[in-house]
Amino acid sequence: MSEKVLLVDDEREFLEIMSERMRARGMIVTTTESADQALSIIEKESFDAIIMDFQMPEMDGMEALKAIKKKRPELQIILLTGYATVEKTVEAMKIGATDFLEKPADLEALVEKIKTAKTEKMLLVEKQTEEKIKDILQRHR
Amino acid sequence: MNNKAKDADGAQILAAAGMRFFGRMSASATHEIKNTLAIINENAGLLEDLTLMAEKGHPLATERVKDISQRLARQVHRADLILKKLNRLSHSVDLTRELVDLEKAVIFVLDLAGRLLEIQQVTVEITPPLSPMVVDTNLFYLQNAIWLAIDMACCCADQEKQVKISFGTDSTIPSVWFSMGRANKDKIENTIKDLFESKEDQALMAYLGITIEKNNKNNGFGLLWTKST
Repeated sequence: MSEKVLLVDDEREFLEIMSERMRARGMIVTTTESADQALSIIEKESFDAIIMDFQMPEMDGMEALKAIKKKRPELQIILLTGYATVEKTVEAMKIGATDFLEKPADLEALVEKIKTAKTEKMLLVEKQTEEKIKDILQRHR
Repeated sequence: MNNKAKDADGAQILAAAGMRFFGRMSASATHEIKNTLAIINENAGLLEDLTLMAEKGHPLATERVKDISQRLARQVHRADLILKKLNRLSHSVDLTRELVDLEKAVIFVLDLAGRLLEIQQVTVEITPPLSPMVVDTNLFYLQNAIWLAIDMACCCADQEKQVKISFGTDSTIPSVWFSMGRANKDKIENTIKDLFESKEDQALMAYLGITIEKNNKNNGFGLLWTKST
């Protein structure tokens, strides 16, 4: 099954080409130029992974990461960044980023990370479902 | 502390202020260059994808290749402009003192910090001086002071995020004024205090012979060259 990806970056040209190349690899790609728009998109749709630039107008990557994780904790977020400091990387991972990739990124490496993210998301959803079932069963005992 | 030690201490503080400014500008510029490299990288990858498809028998769309080539040229030009700005900033340390046109210096700093302003979503409007306003100063540190003022003005800009820059009319006291429309007055008070709060800012303004004053409308502040450097 195709991976469903949300690509968030304020560089329109980057979005256009990256999404075209990802689609050519069988992925279903939605693009947006702002973190604010990404937040409203994830309310309506589900994704296997979000690929997001770390520095954007309106909301920086760290704020966006926190907001997305608050709304949809199961979403896997891979951050793309021009330059990642160790401190920022650690902070982002603590908040819940799945992975980091430095720009310019190797698409094949990114595809691998998206596949891993999809597996992790599926496991997480499975775990959440199991817990819900356990909870329902306990309530009915 | 004797005078020599005081001078050395002051020089070190000033250097730290300069390093902080240079670091901020170069971090922003290199981030933008990384973005252009990322687009170049994706275009090169797209060319590779199209070539592989052509090898498998799909016809190669020449219009597409032409479009990619134009995109590549555009990004190379963009990166070149960023590097030119960074290079100009680097060379601004070449002379200890020179005659600087204040309007040109402001325009250059705005251009240099374009991405930082874009991220803050601030628009800046400049009203040129009636006649060129020239100061004999250190260009690098002058740019540092202008950036500091722009950054402070952006912080207290109202929701419309507009900053207006103008120049004084008194030719004996060159000045640059920053106003923020319906800016928060408390924030402006704090901004002016902030500009003098850190040792670095104090050393910078003292070195350049700049004093800071609130404007008449109480919605901004100005940098005034009350004494020559």
